[in-house]
Amino acid sequence: MTLSRKLTPYLYLAPMLALLAFVFGFSILRVFEFSFKMVRGIDGPWIGLRNYRLVLSQPLFWESVRHNLLLLLAIPAMVAIALLLSLLLYDRLRGWKIYRTILFFPYILAIPIIAVVMKQMFQFSGPVNEVLRWLSLDFMALDWIGSTDVALWTVMMLIIWRESALGVILFLSRLLSLDESVVEAARLDGANWWQRAWYVLIPQMRGVIEFYVVISVITMLSAVFAYIYMMGGGRGGPGTSTMVTELYIYNALTRSSLPGIASAVSVMLFVVSLALIYLLFVVRRRAGGEGA
Amino acid sequence: MTNKPNSAQPFGRRRFLQTTAAGVGGMALGSLFVPLVARAQTPELTMWWWGEQELPGLQAYVDESVAAYTAATVKPMLQDTAVVISQFQTAAAAGTPPDIQYLWNGIYHMESVWFGYLKPLNGLLSEDTLRASNPTVLSNFGGNTYRAGWYPLPMVWYYNKDLFDKAGLDADAPPKTWAELLDACDKLKTAGIEPLGGGMQDGYWAEWWMSHSFVQTLDTAGEAVELFIGDKDFNDPRYHEHWVRLEELRTLGFLNKDMPSLELYPGIDLVVAGKLGMGQSIGSRLPADSKATNGRIGSMVMPVFGKGKLAGKPIVDTQGLGIAEGSANPEAAAAFLEYLNTPERLEAFHKATGWLPSSSRFDADLIEDASVKAMWKAWGQSPNITNVTNLMPGQFYEQAAIPTGQQVVQGTLTGEQAGELAARVAQEWRDFNPDLVEKYQQWVVDLSK
Repeated sequence: MTLSRKLTPYLYLAPMLALLAFVFGFSILRVFEFSFKMVRGIDGPWIGLRNYRLVLSQPLFWESVRHNLLLLLAIPAMVAIALLLSLLLYDRLRGWKIYRTILFFPYILAIPIIAVVMKQMFQFSGPVNEVLRWLSLDFMALDWIGSTDVALWTVMMLIIWRESALGVILFLSRLLSLDESVVEAARLDGANWWQRAWYVLIPQMRGVIEFYVVISVITMLSAVFAYIYMMGGGRGGPGTSTMVTELYIYNALTRSSLPGIASAVSVMLFVVSLALIYLLFVVRRRAGGEGA
Repeated sequence: MTNKPNSAQPFGRRRFLQTTAAGVGGMALGSLFVPLVARAQTPELTMWWWGEQELPGLQAYVDESVAAYTAATVKPMLQDTAVVISQFQTAAAAGTPPDIQYLWNGIYHMESVWFGYLKPLNGLLSEDTLRASNPTVLSNFGGNTYRAGWYPLPMVWYYNKDLFDKAGLDADAPPKTWAELLDACDKLKTAGIEPLGGGMQDGYWAEWWMSHSFVQTLDTAGEAVELFIGDKDFNDPRYHEHWVRLEELRTLGFLNKDMPSLELYPGIDLVVAGKLGMGQSIGSRLPADSKATNGRIGSMVMPVFGKGKLAGKPIVDTQGLGIAEGSANPEAAAAFLEYLNTPERLEAFHKATGWLPSSSRFDADLIEDASVKAMWKAWGQSPNITNVTNLMPGQFYEQAAIPTGQQVVQGTLTGEQAGELAARVAQEWRDFNPDLVEKYQQWVVDLSK
């Protein structure tokens, strides 16, 4: 391959890379710079690693990280729900196209809209608890968004409900692209629904499942701000029970006037996200190799 | 025969069009020129403001005031809530601030003072206007005042008179002491009424609780700052007593059950709707709430438990306006603020918003609602104190003031543990902000007067 042919794809990419560098490059460099400064207003003196030391010694930061990690527990549930629903839809039940639209609907709605509705539903005197009390299930009528013990799990339920919808669509797309003769052969060999799913369909979906898991991990670690902000009263509350790293950054920047601290946490989150994105590429390459 | 080409030739169509165009052009240029000359003599001011979000009608008032003002051309811009401070500070740092800037009270504008972005108003505004606007002690630093009051926010406790009647309480004599409060709560509870509370899911109730109760333990506003800079300690029982009292109310079952899951305003609505006996509120809601209940909402000062000199005094917070250090024409900006404080503009403010301007020059006889008039007499026209939660560093507010209140109400934190948490967060704030500690130390001098 000649040098010019090697360069050709990069030349095609160059304008977009230049645009990205123009939009994000300077900002990212400034964030890195700010993380080593005590910024007041728009600049400040160099203080080395002090911001990092302060953040890493603060219990609230570690509590935020812990909450992000706890949210990872949602991923197995999301995968299981999305798999089950997509497999049911794949069976083309009567009206499956309507069900597909209904199931994807949560993903279309903006997070603030569904969060506001959910907050109303899950108030202590809200409809969910009213129904539970009516069914004499008082012990299940929890303070869903007002209790520090329960609030994070309530947010997690909302995340599972909404983010599973993306999984359904991804998985169903993969299923619909499979060679149906293999499934038909299994059926003729007497495989029941469960056996067809477990031994025939799911193995062929490995690539897309891995892809979904990786983007979900990235979501849980660095893209749950809207859920938390809306459900946690704008503060990661009650108390600090739903505080996550993104909200920690937001608070440091806008409410505590600490851009240096916000930058230090942003840099750490950026590095973790970068590592996960690298993992995503590895997974996608492997999935591509499998023809997923 | 000589030609006389000019005047003797017939007036053709082309000639007519040329003449008309020249005439119209000349007139247009002339009409542009006159205002340009006039404008060159009239100062241009920019005013960044906020408040329509909490006081509907303010936009109409600002537009009307700007249009009627002839001494300068004022260009107002309504700011988004999230950027009121940052937008100003960024513009000031870049050397392009507005001439007039909306300023929240206390630390929410004092940081800009410390950065050198605001001009002292004493000397620019008349002493009389400045004092009449009640900028509050939280606007002072280094002996200067940096804000003029614009409109007040009396911090009140609501009580529902119908529910008081139902519980056999005197609706014209709400509780004044802690013992009377507990007694009233007990009677309300016995009558099947949830006695006290509101909604604190969004955290503001916890802040207001500190506004009303923490202040009762203080002798001066400066004492609160001493707690943040480490000269005093939240572990001292005196300085976390307000959380112990909150714990007491929870333990006695006097707080409404859905308090942790409700937000602030729906919580206040419970009092107005006759579902809750008492709760914290804000004076600017009273005109509407009084009207909705035919005057059956009363306002009271939080019953007293504390022994500080500030205990039992009505609290009035004030939103304000200031002048940027980088303003090209601070005198013109000051003249516009003087204009907003004329009796005619103060009355216009009341008409446009239904609320009150922050000025002792405002004629209180213009207030029609008896409840609002009584409230203004007690809060606005009597000796009052400011809202000390505006002194809190943002970090303390977010990580201590709000979470502690929420957790005490839930029972996951005792009042004493709340004090420990507050002390720890105050220490963290000092570690994170060594430069601001120094500024706060200087501020104590102004706040302790």
